[in-house]
Amino acid sequence: MNYAFTYKMYFKANLLYQRLNLLFRRCHSERRDNPSFDPIKFIQGNTEISTNHMTPEIKLHLITPRCALWDSGADQCLVSDPFWAFYWPGGQVLTRYILDHGSVVKDKSVLDVGSGCGASAIAAAMRGARRVLANDIDPVAAAAMKMNAKLNSVNLETSTDNLIGEGLHQWDVVFLGDMFYDEEFASTVSDWLKTLKQSNSSCQILIGDPGRFSLEEHPVKSLLFRVAEYELDEVCRRENNGLTLGGVWAYDPTRTMK
Amino acid sequence: MWPIFDYGRFVSIISSSDVYGVVWMRSLAQLHKMANLRVLVGVKRVIDYAVKIRVKPDNSGVVTDGVKHSMNPFCEIAMEEAVRLKEKKLAKEIIAVSCGPAQAQETIRTALAMGADRGIHVEVTGKEYENMTPLHVSKIMAKLAQDQEANLVILGKQSIDGDNNQTGQMTAALLDWPQATFASEVTKENDHLKVVREIDGGLETVKVTLPAVITADLRLNEPRYATLPNIMKAKKKKIAKHKAADFGVDLTPTLEVVGVEDPPVRQAGQKVESTEELVAKLKDSGVV
Repeated sequence: MNYAFTYKMYFKANLLYQRLNLLFRRCHSERRDNPSFDPIKFIQGNTEISTNHMTPEIKLHLITPRCALWDSGADQCLVSDPFWAFYWPGGQVLTRYILDHGSVVKDKSVLDVGSGCGASAIAAAMRGARRVLANDIDPVAAAAMKMNAKLNSVNLETSTDNLIGEGLHQWDVVFLGDMFYDEEFASTVSDWLKTLKQSNSSCQILIGDPGRFSLEEHPVKSLLFRVAEYELDEVCRRENNGLTLGGVWAYDPTRTMK
Repeated sequence: MWPIFDYGRFVSIISSSDVYGVVWMRSLAQLHKMANLRVLVGVKRVIDYAVKIRVKPDNSGVVTDGVKHSMNPFCEIAMEEAVRLKEKKLAKEIIAVSCGPAQAQETIRTALAMGADRGIHVEVTGKEYENMTPLHVSKIMAKLAQDQEANLVILGKQSIDGDNNQTGQMTAALLDWPQATFASEVTKENDHLKVVREIDGGLETVKVTLPAVITADLRLNEPRYATLPNIMKAKKKKIAKHKAADFGVDLTPTLEVVGVEDPPVRQAGQKVESTEELVAKLKDSGVV
């Protein structure tokens, strides 16, 4: 009880500190272009460790409603686009699927593209993947992935290179969690998937998507078949106004284009 | 995807005059159509409701430069209702539309953060925007509703700057669609929408078939605030840009604003000590 009390007190103090920082527009570090910017300190100072999502087995550093940045506008946040600080619905359902169907990744080499907080990659490592590479072009996301991997006691390789478009042969499984968020990018990704599948036909490509318009209307949709569907939980719905369902899709170009 | 249509069964239903069966199949098809609503929502950028309005010295209009703008509150309510329809799985897609200068994009971004799937910005600038009237906007909305194959148009009942209360009604007229104005409650019932309307001294309930135009009144709902995760994800959503001419709409003004004036400043009152004094004063001023 004493321990719980101490923890609670510490926690409150930490949140209060965050709020004060926001008030004075001072996060733990200054802007990202500042050479002294420390992504680890920023993540520690502006997120909390959360299991309040669709994969409670995995602990993640996320910006939650209890963090000061939650209610701030995008301009108040000192790193641009902290996409890694939120657990995207497509990523959540894909991660849920991997945890529920561990055989998909067991003893396989796995690439997680646009990994963000790294949840899907962590799930693959937890379910016995031989090798896992978490890839995100945002260096702060790379720091977050490493911190999240440590929280869950798994090992990940990370990369901040843009791997989309690269002819890669060595992957058994490729994850794309919520990557079809705009039409142009959806086209870039779908072209890459085509060449990826051509160079390695045994490569399995899994996509998590909450019914985004840019995927629904895209021709690549006809090459996907749904392997699972999940209702988004309340927290996820609140973070994604209007979305209610998330699907996991497998890419299969042998299906005819409609 | 439509429910698989079993022709043999349909014929047998007809021949055994099992009317309920036919009705059931029809309502199932319509239910499916309902779940696939494409909703068009108009969002106008106006001077923020909390800002004190100042009239230009030459009485040609109000001062807008350097003044805080935000989404028209009734448009926010319309947007919220569309998102709720989507959350109830009645709508599959929400398109937010705004006509106005480049800054109207910010208003569309707010709508995207509230839950719209994509935006359409019809750019109208300068003198053309100053002279734009509800007729122009409704012509654009009507054309967009047809082009985008929308089944439902939701608009605010009026904007707090123009106070015209015309766009929804004229859009419905141009499309020849039914309209339910001043909505305070929207519910789905079988193949139609039941809309409770706010009218003088009470409420009126109407049934509208789809496609239809709805205008939102104040009590329809309480719009949500956009939080950081939603604002960030909204950045990734697409806003298509158009000109009014793309829709064949001529923006030549149909009316001319002659003058805009501040309301008269209220005269200071007087305090009286007793009823006798009040009566005396009223007699003096010739009121009684």
